[in-house]
Amino acid sequence: MAKNKITFKLKNKLSELDTLCQNLERFGESIGLSPKFIFETNLALDELFTNIISYGYSDKKVHIITVEISLQNNELLFSIEDDGLPFNPTEVEEPDLGCSIEECKIGGLGIHLAKNLMDEVCYQRCKEKNILTLKKKIQESQPAKKRMKG
Amino acid sequence: MEILEENHGGINIFKLNGRLDSNTSQGFEKKIFQAIDDGSKNMIIDFKDLDYISSAGLRVILKATKALKREEGKMLLCDMQDYVKEVFEIAGFDSFLPIVGTMDDALQGF
Repeated sequence: MAKNKITFKLKNKLSELDTLCQNLERFGESIGLSPKFIFETNLALDELFTNIISYGYSDKKVHIITVEISLQNNELLFSIEDDGLPFNPTEVEEPDLGCSIEECKIGGLGIHLAKNLMDEVCYQRCKEKNILTLKKKIQESQPAKKRMKG
Repeated sequence: MEILEENHGGINIFKLNGRLDSNTSQGFEKKIFQAIDDGSKNMIIDFKDLDYISSAGLRVILKATKALKREEGKMLLCDMQDYVKEVFEIAGFDSFLPIVGTMDDALQGF
């Protein structure tokens, strides 16, 4: 039977995006998630992780970001924990999407994507850590639970 | 990620293969701006074999499109997988970037 939870640790470097992707794909496939669902989840986690390692640290030291993914009922729950500078992505201003190409700015876009691809994004600062908890509902057409039993 | 460069009657074609994220976007940015520096004005980005794009990839496309516009050139994007296209849509980029169906459509756009 497939496990319904994984936890993994990533270092604060961009090459860890591949580790993030591999872990997510392996877990997602084991519980029967569709490629589209895995893609969207990967993108949301990528944007939040990239944001943490790009802006979260003022030193040059190695830091660890802990990611936990679990399947509960018909939802996938995520937590991302880092020891970087306090930062609440849910407070970032939404980009102006109706703008022309000349006015279009890229800032805030990653977080906009993450919020759109998840059903819920919550932020907490706790014991010198940033903790993001995310939720994404699995659509009925994706038989995640059925495959787990098989 | 692999980037294959081709020239088709003065049009620079970049075929992307793999994942375009914040880890790989710098290499892509370098290639595309090298071509612009070398005088290329018309470009096609072939997304057929691109499996993944994040905002870092969108940033490079946006920056290059703006640079080409200043030179009175243009860039067309073709053959996107549905998931990849969805990212352009959520970002609102589909309203100002020319995204076409196939490579033939793109070639006819010049």
